[in-house]
Amino acid sequence: MIRFLAKRIRYSLFILWGVVTLVFFMFNVLPADPARLVMGQRSDLASIENARRDLNLDKPMWLRYCLYLNDLSPIGLHENDSATQTKYHYQKLIPLSSRCIAAKWPYLGRSYRTKKEVSAVLSEALPGTIILALAAMTFATIIGILLGTLAALKKDTWLDTSSIVASVAGISMPSFFAALLIAYFFGFLLHSITGLNMTGSLWEYDAFKGKRLMLRNLILPALALGIRPLAIITQLTRSAMLDVLSQDYIRTANAKGLTKTRVIFRHALPNALNPVITAVSGWLAELLAGSFFVEYIFGWKGVGKITVDALDKFDFPLVMGAVLLTAFIFIIVNLLTDILYSKIDPRVRL
Amino acid sequence: MSVLDVSHLQIGFAGTPEFAAVKDLSFTLKAGETLAIVGESGSGKSLTALALMGLLPKTAILRGDAAFADGDQKRILQELNGTTWQDVRGRVVSMVFQEPMSALNPVMQVGKQLSEAISAHQRVSHDKARQIAIEWLGKVQLPEPEKIYARFPHQLSGGQKQRVMIAMAMCHHPQILIADEPTTALDATVQQEVILLMQQLQREHETSMIFITHDLSLAARIASEVLVMYKGQVMEYGAAEVVLKHPQHPYTQALLACRPSVNHKSERLPVVSDFWQPENELLTSESELKNIPAAKRENSQSNKSILKVENVRIWFPQKKNWLRNALEYFKAVDDVSFELYKGETLGLVGESGCGKSTLSRGIMGLVPIHDGHIYFDGKDLAKASQQEWLTARRKMQMIFQDPFSSLNPRLTVGDIVSEPMRVHRIVSRSELKKETLRVFDLVQLPASAYDRYPHQFSGGQRQRIGIARALGLKPEVLICDESVSALDVSIQAQILNLLRDLQQELALTYLFISHDLSVVYYLCDRIMVMQKGKIVETGTAEAVLKHPTNPYTQRLVDAV
Repeated sequence: MIRFLAKRIRYSLFILWGVVTLVFFMFNVLPADPARLVMGQRSDLASIENARRDLNLDKPMWLRYCLYLNDLSPIGLHENDSATQTKYHYQKLIPLSSRCIAAKWPYLGRSYRTKKEVSAVLSEALPGTIILALAAMTFATIIGILLGTLAALKKDTWLDTSSIVASVAGISMPSFFAALLIAYFFGFLLHSITGLNMTGSLWEYDAFKGKRLMLRNLILPALALGIRPLAIITQLTRSAMLDVLSQDYIRTANAKGLTKTRVIFRHALPNALNPVITAVSGWLAELLAGSFFVEYIFGWKGVGKITVDALDKFDFPLVMGAVLLTAFIFIIVNLLTDILYSKIDPRVRL
Repeated sequence: MSVLDVSHLQIGFAGTPEFAAVKDLSFTLKAGETLAIVGESGSGKSLTALALMGLLPKTAILRGDAAFADGDQKRILQELNGTTWQDVRGRVVSMVFQEPMSALNPVMQVGKQLSEAISAHQRVSHDKARQIAIEWLGKVQLPEPEKIYARFPHQLSGGQKQRVMIAMAMCHHPQILIADEPTTALDATVQQEVILLMQQLQREHETSMIFITHDLSLAARIASEVLVMYKGQVMEYGAAEVVLKHPQHPYTQALLACRPSVNHKSERLPVVSDFWQPENELLTSESELKNIPAAKRENSQSNKSILKVENVRIWFPQKKNWLRNALEYFKAVDDVSFELYKGETLGLVGESGCGKSTLSRGIMGLVPIHDGHIYFDGKDLAKASQQEWLTARRKMQMIFQDPFSSLNPRLTVGDIVSEPMRVHRIVSRSELKKETLRVFDLVQLPASAYDRYPHQFSGGQRQRIGIARALGLKPEVLICDESVSALDVSIQAQILNLLRDLQQELALTYLFISHDLSVVYYLCDRIMVMQKGKIVETGTAEAVLKHPTNPYTQRLVDAV
């Protein structure tokens, strides 16, 4: 286990480094001038020059790349003065003459446009995305496994056929379309019955009561986001279950005189879960990286919207931060999935 | 007193001719006795067992009836439904299956699977069920039952898994135990122990047993009554001694005769069609076999060695350090040397896991060799160029064990056989089909097979396809890896005869790998015995099997 973790962390760092390098050089060939983005179109030459120096744009590309890596690294070499310390929030480890080796959270820079710290912007949006993704996937996983199991057990009946038709429809429906439909029907037409709003974030700001948690607003976006994974999980569960149900050990379980529910939930289902876990983890990681359309349509504060906006405005630090965050999420989710595999199937050894 | 009365049982499948799978089967099982149902694949013996467990596939149609004794009351098969079946299964009638590898749930501890069976019919607490389960693991003679309890199926050997299955089937002292080929998948020595265990438990708990097998001699040893089935029909039913000593039906006589035996080394094995031609059956190429005169077995062997294996080690790394250098090896083949002489048949014998298949793969270049040399026709294969390898591959061909999975289901038989010929440019493109059909003829496959797919053939015919594929390249050496183990005895006899005839006709050299001593004795001139990656004994077939010097060989011979 420890050996496995050590190996995975090594690989993960390598992947993150690759992502950083790729995105860094890609942004450097784009025809936008960050100094102008920072200062706005109308500033004078002198202040643009200042901005350039601030952003290290006067330095050669390789040096900028090294400095950027140094910014990201949790342990880096920095100027030993208070201005730098407030910028990076570092903890001095080993002081050298004018510099020091210091520990810090990876420094992602400041947004070119809003001048806010990227990590602050992202961490503000991340909880919303995480909660939305988890809610959508929980809904999709539970309902999907149940539906898939049911369809497999009732193979070739109306229940099976209709769940297949529904899931094909679900897979073919793009999320923005589903989101629009759901928002319109449940949030507008049926508003008086459901009491749900068309738009709204997890936290509502009220003039009198301040910040309030609005779990109610979660329902519709989670539903819209969960439909496609739900359809896929249903189909995967169904085919895996059909496969497992014809296995010898299911016959053995029946021969023991076990009840039908026990055979299905203790013997068949755990063996059918592998492809489902693969699908769930893939979707979860994808949803955690933000889902622009659903966030946009429901006015939900999340990473997806921030990323797309930043891309539109060439806001390099923010895009870079979002990309790194996404890569990090994928790595973590994959790691957890592998551990989960080994928990469910004892033949998998880490 | 009878515990089971089966009357006019018929099983059919929707969409096939009426009740073709099992036709009008009636028998009685007496308390405490053992009935053996003997038959080859497709005889309907396993379907009968599943019918008695209520586990037939949904597409099956069942007619006729059976009555189980459940204490003092009777249970009628046709009257049982979902919940009453649950009550009967495992308590009144229980079953041990053929494949211990796949019969246990791979993601559940074996002890849990056993204690679950216990609490299915007994109201006991969780701890009590666990305690009973551990007791039973001890009763089926598993070492350290407490530890075995927490193991998963993949951590147990085949024999141990089958013991767990037996415990699972016996834990409610059922009236009837159905054992469907419980030892077929096991090594000979393990087979012996498992059967002894079953007999002992049967005596202790006064269980009646239905023992399903393809092996007549095994049936004779353990059963008091024998029922012989062929294609769903009862051929013969009676007391074991009578059926086996004085078989009335020609099919039973044929089954007894076509099994190679270690007691006599006959020239040619008789096949079923020598004895009996079932009515309404098309004359297939298999039954035409008898028209071919038996090949005279001349001593065509020479002292010229064609394949020389020198100190070969095939090791698989088990532990690696951080630089990916191996620290520990699993020694599948460890320092093996032997020579294969032109024209001979060399048998390689050993139990599963002894490394015999790995060795054959190593010779073929299918797994890398850690150390040692293999000389083919005097050339060292380790140093051979691409071109030399190609020639060696052509001259050395392999016939695999499983005729069901070793043929690509998406290719026609013609393509399967002609593909290697095309790759090695044996004949020109225009002659390819002619040559393929010539090879078909060699192995007695009909020319009509050319455009058909493997699934349309029976096991025996598929093995002929596998042989044809190898023969197309005009090889000098054929490596047969358990090539007849997956076949029924009557088919086995045909394939063995075929292999012998081909050897005479084409001057082939065989390396014949098998766990079955009687087959090896029948076919081979010399025998090597392998144990744990090492060759422990080599000699002529006579010498090794009649006067084994190594204790391991002795054990193998005794188990037959």
